[in-house]
Amino acid sequence: MTYTTSRASAFSEALRRTFGRPVEFGLVVGASATLLAALALVTLTLWRALPLEQPPWMRPQALVFAAGAQGEIDLAALQSALRHVAMVASADFLARDAALSELAQRKSLSAIGLTDLRPNPLPDAFLVRFVAGAQPEAVETAVAEMRKIKNVESVEYQAELYRRMALLSQLLARICLLLAAPLGASLIIGVSLAAILWVRIDQDEVRVLHLLGADPPVMRRPYVYAGAMSLLLAAALAWWMVTAAGGWLEPLINSAAQQYALRWTPAALPIWAGALFCLGASLFGALLGSLAARAAIRR
Amino acid sequence: MRTEPYLSETSVQAPLLSCEAVEKRYGEFRPALMGLNLAIGRGEFVVVQGPAGCGKSVLLRLLAGLEAPSAGAIKIAGEDLARMRPRALAQLRRSMGILPPGDSLLGRRSVLENVALASWVAGSAFEEGMRRARAALELVGLDVERYGAASGAELASGQRQCAALARALVNRPALLLLDDLLCPLDEAIAARVLQVLDQFSTAGVTVVAAMRSGVAPTNSSSTPWPARARTLQLVDGKLVQ
Repeated sequence: MTYTTSRASAFSEALRRTFGRPVEFGLVVGASATLLAALALVTLTLWRALPLEQPPWMRPQALVFAAGAQGEIDLAALQSALRHVAMVASADFLARDAALSELAQRKSLSAIGLTDLRPNPLPDAFLVRFVAGAQPEAVETAVAEMRKIKNVESVEYQAELYRRMALLSQLLARICLLLAAPLGASLIIGVSLAAILWVRIDQDEVRVLHLLGADPPVMRRPYVYAGAMSLLLAAALAWWMVTAAGGWLEPLINSAAQQYALRWTPAALPIWAGALFCLGASLFGALLGSLAARAAIRR
Repeated sequence: MRTEPYLSETSVQAPLLSCEAVEKRYGEFRPALMGLNLAIGRGEFVVVQGPAGCGKSVLLRLLAGLEAPSAGAIKIAGEDLARMRPRALAQLRRSMGILPPGDSLLGRRSVLENVALASWVAGSAFEEGMRRARAALELVGLDVERYGAASGAELASGQRQCAALARALVNRPALLLLDDLLCPLDEAIAARVLQVLDQFSTAGVTVVAAMRSGVAPTNSSSTPWPARARTLQLVDGKLVQ
């Protein structure tokens, strides 16, 4: 076994280190691949769900009933007044006749004779939606302001429900934030540890080579190559896991997103993204190998 | 970029190696070395003696550029080690022969490979490295046919020390830094080793050897340093001339 400063020699040393212990190597690559796959899945999920926003059904809304019969008041002026209230995103007109025909289509209501009522007992109304992320207190103030507008009969707003939903979504966001940072950090640390353990610096050899005057970059080279190769293989395996998991879960997620009106961009994973992921992991492995060897030289 | 060894360039008159007010501290404790001034010329044989923990190994590590002094300057061939880049320091060490304290042979390499490694690192081809390694092992009295293929772990401590010394000599260095040189050697081998080192020194190689005071080769009551050797006493990190 010789020692030369060539890149080919460093590469064959790295190959010897990498494939010399196949069982250990399989375990380390498997563990690293699982961690990398978890990281990739979290990133992909965020990418597809971003920008994160409340689905329409979670946003606070109120029903504003107009006073008086059709033609007696200026509905356009009322709609404009509602739109000018703070925190209001939209105010859509719900015509009393349209509401009545929709009610009439419901069999349960036609059974109790609603459709036989004359004249139309329903008032004209506006469905007012508030801006996403509006605080319940601000919405309640806006609702109180609406009640004071001329020609507003009443405003139906479920204050308690939206207070609870706001509290829940705040809590959920904070828990996610709290978990995301340590989870991401522990995944990266896990991958780093696995790679460093795998590269397993030969401390004695590094010490002796340093003593004999080997160039530091030449000493680091086999470890850099071993780190890069290990994480390249782990990343390729991780990408396969992500693709397989995606194929399995995608239809379920798509239909759930549709049902709950959640933002979700279904997209096939492009090949360049996989190549970039593998390249990034490989460079990260090379960096870890270099840092571990550098630390061993300094010791 | 410089390709020639540093140490072949100094003039005969200029000190090959000098320490100017060198101090080395590890944390807040008492300094390992204090106000050390020293000049060693080309071809000198210097023995640094002192009790355990007096700073001998630290001094040799500083001279080898393996550590930087906390204060003061160490110059080799006129170059301040602290101002040299890591690659230049590595190149400088290829011109030196260093014997570290303790066992420094690599267990997964044969004795021949261990010795040839220094030659390979210095840029020799495989066969040239092996040829030099055989010559160096014969020089220190280790039977190449018998022990060359054995791993370092299979040798006795004295033989390992000889193999490590052969590795220090294999590139015919201009400066030898030898720590705990005679510690595990018996009298006959020690005498042979010192004779070889004396020849190197006479030929212009600077030798700096560290030795614990009161420690003589196994089965010997005296330390047979060459007559031309200059002995320095190091006590509590200070040189006592």
